[in-house]
Amino acid sequence: MAATQDVKGKGEGGDQNFDYMFKLLIIGNSSVGKTSFLFRYADDAFTSAFVSTVGIDFKVKTVYKNDKRIKLQIWDTAGQERYRTITTAYYRGAMGFILMYDITNEESFGAVQDWSTQIKTYSWDNAQVVLAGNKCDMEEERVVSVDSGRLLAEQLGFEFFETSAKDNINVKQTFERLVDLICDKMSESLDTDPAVTSGAPTAKLTDSAPPLQQPGCNC
Amino acid sequence: MGQKTSNTTSNKAANSSFFSFLKRFSPPKPSSDKTTSPRTGIFAKLTPNKSMDFTRLISNCISFASTRTQEYLVFKDPEGKFLPSSQALTQVFLMTYITQSVNLDYTDTFNCTAMTPEQRILLGADWVWAILEKPTKNPKIQIAVQVLHLPEREEAEEREAEGKPVSESIQMAQMESRNKNAYERMVDFCTSIGKDCYALFLFFGKRDDRENIYGVLSNNFEADVGKLRSNSPDLSWC
Repeated sequence: MAATQDVKGKGEGGDQNFDYMFKLLIIGNSSVGKTSFLFRYADDAFTSAFVSTVGIDFKVKTVYKNDKRIKLQIWDTAGQERYRTITTAYYRGAMGFILMYDITNEESFGAVQDWSTQIKTYSWDNAQVVLAGNKCDMEEERVVSVDSGRLLAEQLGFEFFETSAKDNINVKQTFERLVDLICDKMSESLDTDPAVTSGAPTAKLTDSAPPLQQPGCNC
Repeated sequence: MGQKTSNTTSNKAANSSFFSFLKRFSPPKPSSDKTTSPRTGIFAKLTPNKSMDFTRLISNCISFASTRTQEYLVFKDPEGKFLPSSQALTQVFLMTYITQSVNLDYTDTFNCTAMTPEQRILLGADWVWAILEKPTKNPKIQIAVQVLHLPEREEAEEREAEGKPVSESIQMAQMESRNKNAYERMVDFCTSIGKDCYALFLFFGKRDDRENIYGVLSNNFEADVGKLRSNSPDLSWC
């Protein structure tokens, strides 16, 4: 896995120069820890207070990978059913998903298949997915084994991590892996059919070189 | 279409229609058998007791927040140096309301979620009130609230903001939302949830009554969304 490097200290106004922009979504049942996961990654912060996300929200984080600046627009979705219409509207154009369940909540694991179907229904075929079993710091309350998670991920064709937003376990790695998968997919698509990725939904190009139109994308 | 809410600041006792609305969905009694800490001043007046029903508690908190906000709404600096911003007024209302509701300890039944700056743009709401189901704490009824300010206050702020840097995420949120105005976005948001999500437009002053707070509430604004577009940004149809 190629390492990505965080870019910190962006001030007001943001940085408009970037080579790629990836739209990512975090989805999964309510209270599995999606918002905490994003806060840990974007702000390196954690609070145990639970505030249910209303509708949808997002954060932006820029990472470097092989000298390319990649802007991640990470959408945090509400897990409750009542928000399903609004959240699925944002699936369109997403290049990657983190599908999250809670290792202490069997129901959230049981819902993974349904979430996977939602991705297939509302997203595009090339979207990459990482399955994340969150709250792995709560070993004593575990009801979903690591093997069950891994097996399900294999069956669905997803990568798999167990994570903890609280203890900062595998948070960065999950995002890095997802970015790697998206980059690999882009390169692969360019090798086979450049036309496929020229329509990549949110890969945004700078004024300079248009990487998506160059064969052998090396992000 | 819209259900007019009471003028919460001019007549605190008459918290009529908005609170009648809440009453329809409120739980039978607050779980306020638990002892509450003694409070002083205004809080003493709001201390829940067995006879005070849930609706009254919320009503008092909103009235108190409205009254506090009104103090700033009517403020006139003799030297003309201080003019509270729209954002400040909204924050005064919310902070006062939240302080009261936390003190009265009913937030596990009727909670208030302030939106992030990005959510305010994407969803059009400043905050969302929700009546929560027990024990799941899932919302049963929601009220998404958007505050509208006197046009001159907003115009002055827009002039002041011109040329100032805007954060990247705000720019992105604006890009995502560029096809609809804030009223339409909130109506869309409520409509996407269903009839158990109401939109409440709160007016902090209006042209012919600049010192009071008004509101219009409905779960059917989508029926008149054309009016929202044709009359924006004034919402003069209210």
